[in-house]
Amino acid sequence: MVMGVIGYLYGLFTSNMMDIPLIKPLVDYLLNIPGINFIVALILWRPFFAIAIAPGLGALMLYLLWIVYFERKLTARVQWRVGPLEVCRPIRGLIQALADGIRYFFQEAIVHREAHKPYFIQLPILAFIPVLIPIMFIPAGKVVGIKSDYAIQLIVAFIALIPITIIAIGWASNSRFAYIGSVREAFMYFAYEVPFVIAVISMIFIYGSGNPYTAVEKQAIVPGAILNPIAFIVYMIAMLMATSRLPFEIPEADQEIAFGPFVEYSGILFGLVMTLAYEKLYIMALLFTILFLGGWSGPPIPILGDLAPVIWLVLKTVIAISILVIVRSIYARYRLDQAIRLGWSSMLGLSLISLVVCAAVRWIL
Amino acid sequence: MIRIKKVELSLAERVKSHIDAITTAVKQAIRPDRITVEYPRERRRYPDIFRGFIVFDKDKCISCFRCAQICPANAIKMEFYDRYYPSIDYAKCIFCHFCVDSCPTGALRTSKVHDIAFKSLEEMHLHTTQIMKIPEIIREDKVTVEYEIKDGKWRLVRKKELDKLEVEVPPPVIKPRKAFCIEPENCLGCRLCVTVCPQEAITFDRKKAMIRINLEKCVGCGLCVRQCPMQILELKVVA
Amino acid sequence: MDEYYIEVPVEPPKEVRSLFIPIPPEYVEETYRSEDFLVLVGPQHPGSGHMRLIVRVHGDIIKEVIPDPGYVHRCVEKIAENRLYIQNIPLVERPSIMDAANLNLGYVRAIEEALDIEVPERAKYIRVILAELCRIGTHLYDAAILSVFMGHTTGFMYPFGIRELICEALAVMTGVRFTTSFIIPGGIRRDVDNKVLKYVYNITFAIEKRLKTFEKIFIKNPTVIARLKDVGVLTKEEAIKYGVVGPFLRASGVEYDVRKVEPYEVYDELTWEIPVADAGDGYSRFLVRVNEITQSLNMIRQCIERIPEGRVISDQICENGKEIRGSLFDALANIVLPTGEYTTLTECARGTAVFTIVSDGGSNTPYRLRLLTPGWLYLRGFMEALKGERLADLQAIYGSFGYFPPEADR
Repeated sequence: MVMGVIGYLYGLFTSNMMDIPLIKPLVDYLLNIPGINFIVALILWRPFFAIAIAPGLGALMLYLLWIVYFERKLTARVQWRVGPLEVCRPIRGLIQALADGIRYFFQEAIVHREAHKPYFIQLPILAFIPVLIPIMFIPAGKVVGIKSDYAIQLIVAFIALIPITIIAIGWASNSRFAYIGSVREAFMYFAYEVPFVIAVISMIFIYGSGNPYTAVEKQAIVPGAILNPIAFIVYMIAMLMATSRLPFEIPEADQEIAFGPFVEYSGILFGLVMTLAYEKLYIMALLFTILFLGGWSGPPIPILGDLAPVIWLVLKTVIAISILVIVRSIYARYRLDQAIRLGWSSMLGLSLISLVVCAAVRWIL
Repeated sequence: MIRIKKVELSLAERVKSHIDAITTAVKQAIRPDRITVEYPRERRRYPDIFRGFIVFDKDKCISCFRCAQICPANAIKMEFYDRYYPSIDYAKCIFCHFCVDSCPTGALRTSKVHDIAFKSLEEMHLHTTQIMKIPEIIREDKVTVEYEIKDGKWRLVRKKELDKLEVEVPPPVIKPRKAFCIEPENCLGCRLCVTVCPQEAITFDRKKAMIRINLEKCVGCGLCVRQCPMQILELKVVA
Repeated sequence: MDEYYIEVPVEPPKEVRSLFIPIPPEYVEETYRSEDFLVLVGPQHPGSGHMRLIVRVHGDIIKEVIPDPGYVHRCVEKIAENRLYIQNIPLVERPSIMDAANLNLGYVRAIEEALDIEVPERAKYIRVILAELCRIGTHLYDAAILSVFMGHTTGFMYPFGIRELICEALAVMTGVRFTTSFIIPGGIRRDVDNKVLKYVYNITFAIEKRLKTFEKIFIKNPTVIARLKDVGVLTKEEAIKYGVVGPFLRASGVEYDVRKVEPYEVYDELTWEIPVADAGDGYSRFLVRVNEITQSLNMIRQCIERIPEGRVISDQICENGKEIRGSLFDALANIVLPTGEYTTLTECARGTAVFTIVSDGGSNTPYRLRLLTPGWLYLRGFMEALKGERLADLQAIYGSFGYFPPEADR
């Protein structure tokens, strides 16, 4: 009975395996050893590879290690200084983020008396659910978790759930500054959601369907950024607003309300909530690459086979984010009412213009 | 009078300011104007008048107690060896160098050491024997950094040499003073000045009931002036 | 818009009743009964400096702010009664360490007025150079604090990097980077030779060039203008009524600067202007200080061009005119001021500082030293400017006033 299930699963895995010519001899050799062949087949099964390794959790971990270090180094370079340097001097401090993460494990995670204890501890973990589910729908060539005709709409819907968890985190802390931070997060959510959705809708209109495969095929000649530059700008500003990046770092204003909804967290819980914003940025940037930068298309690398589109997708995403983090060193923080006014006047106007542009593009094509 | 007008930005000016800010940041990201000195592998070169660790020269000291009296933080305590010599408590010292400026013979001088670490507060009170030369330093720096200002551009210039931490200062140029008894008729004969003089320059003449000051031996420390209960001794400039 | 209330009895939170907060409990009760609540922006807060602000907020609008200064009170006036006159020089310049030369100058001028000491010309010029360098350093420090309160970290690093040049200029002139204790009754402690003055002359050009980069990325930044424009407005009548001093008074339209009204040292021989703005909001307070930096750089260049040769210490104090090394104690340790009260006004970077020394005619320590720093004088105006603004503007107005708690608390 058990052997039958294992046999069925094994057949399922081998029918949809990744095709990487570089390590094909090694894989063929390992597939002949009973016992290990099941694990190897599981790892190289395309949906598992997409979710667990790339462009899913594995790439997410590497991206986190890279972006924390790179953001600090780039900001330091603009500010006439050097940035983190000492952790491993021969490589100029490259593993600084890893050192920070390990340090959080050794700190004491304090739960204060007035907090609502179950929610306080569980919510940072529950907050990862709407952040990590969209990974299942993002394809990279043939490597995809769940193929769906409505993948882009599903991703947008899950991204819209994330601010609710942040508000709940602030509410569970039961502290004055956390309360002010939660209210600000609610207001900011209200400000960026409509222009963001309209920008995505205008791109879906141009491509004709919410299937990422159609979106990338239609961008074979001209990337989406040039097809509809106004939606490009609106999406970028909405990305800044959604992930609390300067100039819209309003819910987590460090100097005004002492880090907002996350003020009472310490230790490993603090490490978790710190990475929440970065992971949301990763998901939105993956969608950004698929809609505007041509997705996973790029010159094929024959030796890597199925791995090439994945590498192109992750590379383009990371480069797009790395260029976007320079905004942190240029701007000050807007006030809450100014940000809401911006969202509901300029950005809404621009996104409606982008709808008109997309209608014009559709008519031309 | 410069009148500053209210700032009103039109849309074109606002877009231009955005673009200006972004291009400045991008230019700095590509070619930064970095001014970081990677201490302790590089060390700044400070001028010779830098106020650092105070070094004491025992042979020049005349035990006049001036440094201890003028210190604003009461960081100098006089310790007795064969005479009284100063010891500095670096937990209290504010590096104002009033003591260096008060010393009439230049026994206290400055140096360029500014970064000493101590393991406990009691260790910070350095005795006279410990301040007679600069402490042992393990020089971790290999490069000396100087600021170069030319045509309005500020650059760091790095040289592969070590900065000397000791400073040679010439002795202060002051006119010597000696003690004189200005009203010998008021002398009580208490002989406190005889006891307190570290150079033993004052002797008491029993027959005339007067003190006699040996001007060869007197160094002008002023201890007898402060000790005399009738305040009839004074330091006067000798030609 | 109509507001509807539901009469639900609200108890003030436990921490406001149990912790020590220096406001009467009736005030707390009244606040919580009337739909407001209290936010304590306390000493341990990334955006409050070293003082506690008790903010009464109605939704997002500030109704009233009660300051609780005194967190860094160090009893400067009381300690000064137990020290010799010359030992007070490092003491009175420590309340505001970037602005040390101005406070130092005010104290020493009071002693010189009492003892009738004539200061040589070269010493006066070097004192003015030191005072203006410290003024630029303080304005840069305040600009950095303003930018970090608004989240602009680049605007924090750039002024501190430029201030490194100021500290370098002070270091080559006096030997220390700030709190120089260089000005003594009768002149200054040692002479500055011409090579060093040429280096300081070049430094002023380097500062101007780096300030242009700062201007593009911070001063003309639209987000900064949006945060500071029309925020915390003090009209001319309000500014005079609440006793605001210094560049914050000039930003509300009043043309008052101690260096023009009662000039001291060589300020009447130099050509310079005072910047005045009419708007009275946060941005004009900031712009007035930026213009003052340019004026100060001009003044330093004029001083270096015009400086005469000669002694730097008055011959009433010391025969050696070049440095006081060796005779500081004999000349100045036991000075006794004649009976009376001596007052000086000095224009520190943030406003007018008042020094009063009361002497009883016989002791070599002051009987009473009264020091009024500008921070303490404009605290009331700062609290009034906060009324009616949003909670997020608290930090922006704090930064635009450049309030420095150690200076105000002494």
